Amino acid sequence: MLSFADVGFRFRGGASVAGLTFRVEPGEIVALIGLNGVGKTTLMRLALGMVRPEHGTVRLFDHPLAAMPVRLWAKVGALIEVPLAYPELTVRQNLHISRLLHGAPDCVDDSVQTWKLSGVVDCRVRRLSLGNRQRVGLAAALQHDPRVIVLDEPSNSLDPASVILLREELTRRAQEGAAIVVSSHHLDEVSRIADRVLLMNAGRLIGELDTAGSDLERVFFERIRHDDEQRDAAESAR
Amino acid sequence: MIAAIRVEALKLTRSLVGVVATLAVVGGMFALLGGIVWGIAGGNAELIAQAGPAAALDWEGLLAGAAQITAVVAVLCFGIVLAWIFGREFTDGTITGLFALPISRGRIALAKLAVYAVWASLVSVALALGVLILGLLFGYGPPSGDAWAALGRLWALAMLSAAIAIPVAWVATVARSVLAAVGSTLALVVIAQVGALIGAGGWMPLAAPALWAMSGGAAVTPVQLALTGACALASVLVVWTAWVRLQLDR
Repeated sequence: MLSFADVGFRFRGGASVAGLTFRVEPGEIVALIGLNGVGKTTLMRLALGMVRPEHGTVRLFDHPLAAMPVRLWAKVGALIEVPLAYPELTVRQNLHISRLLHGAPDCVDDSVQTWKLSGVVDCRVRRLSLGNRQRVGLAAALQHDPRVIVLDEPSNSLDPASVILLREELTRRAQEGAAIVVSSHHLDEVSRIADRVLLMNAGRLIGELDTAGSDLERVFFERIRHDDEQRDAAESAR
Repeated sequence: MIAAIRVEALKLTRSLVGVVATLAVVGGMFALLGGIVWGIAGGNAELIAQAGPAAALDWEGLLAGAAQITAVVAVLCFGIVLAWIFGREFTDGTITGLFALPISRGRIALAKLAVYAVWASLVSVALALGVLILGLLFGYGPPSGDAWAALGRLWALAMLSAAIAIPVAWVATVARSVLAAVGSTLALVVIAQVGALIGAGGWMPLAAPALWAMSGGAAVTPVQLALTGACALASVLVVWTAWVRLQLDR
């Protein structure tokens, strides 16, 4: 459903991602892990057309992104960096406008129930805690039943109960055929739900992490250190 | 497109920015005109000297004062609201939620401008109605034909002020900032004033509406006034293009 083929992009400030190649199939949860600033959010922006690749092709629903019919975006749900939750609107109004923007039938009440937002549904978002705002953002991103889901650090600010709720929602949606990409730097969290974990370092995908193994943290840092050393050696050789 | 318009309308009507700006421009007009009339009626010589044509205690004087105030206040008010409508998406970070939607960003930008146009129309009507009510309260009697025409020009001046503020939306988009866009609103007012001072007059789209309304329609030709409208349409095209091409690459 979502594929990257040798995708690269460089910001004017110099930060870049390069050689990104991977696929996410229906029913699959792919987690993207890496340290801060390695390009996870940029990869997600590329997947959603927020930035256009300078190299390679991003394909969604078998269309190159640049040529994809606009109506197909109705099948995509995303939360990148900031939840789509306007502070002057109530939770219900925010979910309503998200529904309108996605062209979905009325699903707000179900969404309020699913994300346990009944107690704050008529509160303005500016009065909510960060965790509750994040839940509103997740509800807005997922309530229209998307087939492709892209979430950047979705468990940010969530309490443990909401993290479990998120995990159950993503697992259920994957079982129903959605293709899901989530970024995180919480290894334990992604190892519980992800079918595959992609490691990212210095703007490149450097392989997969076997979540069945023990001591994931040690393996993770070992892989990052090894990649850094290889890159340093390659740069020194030039 | 209708969905985007409904969304933008909800955001503006529920925001303090829209409410405060509306109250400020309409209430401010009431307060300023009331203060001027009060001072002139009380024989304040300094005020009478500065007020010029607005010093007359009749419909003509009231409408001259209203046109002078509207020429500056309306552009400021409309520009600030437009700066918020566009710039807040970047400042609040909600712009990421306006990607990956079955409504294109170009249409979202047009929806924002459509809601802005409707709001500006309502404010313009409220301004003209407010001045009419003020004149009646001051005991100037039923407006003459000339006074009705001046009221019509006042409404048109407010509408054209909303039109010449549209480049502010482009600044908000390119700079990704509400404050930069507010700054550009101030720049628009300054450029219009300088243009009027150096005699560019009717050929300067930013100054033409004010000169037209304050001169009773004599100082600006219909072609010059149409140029203001053409510039506004060009600004809409520029804003639409900026949103179509928008990338979050900074």
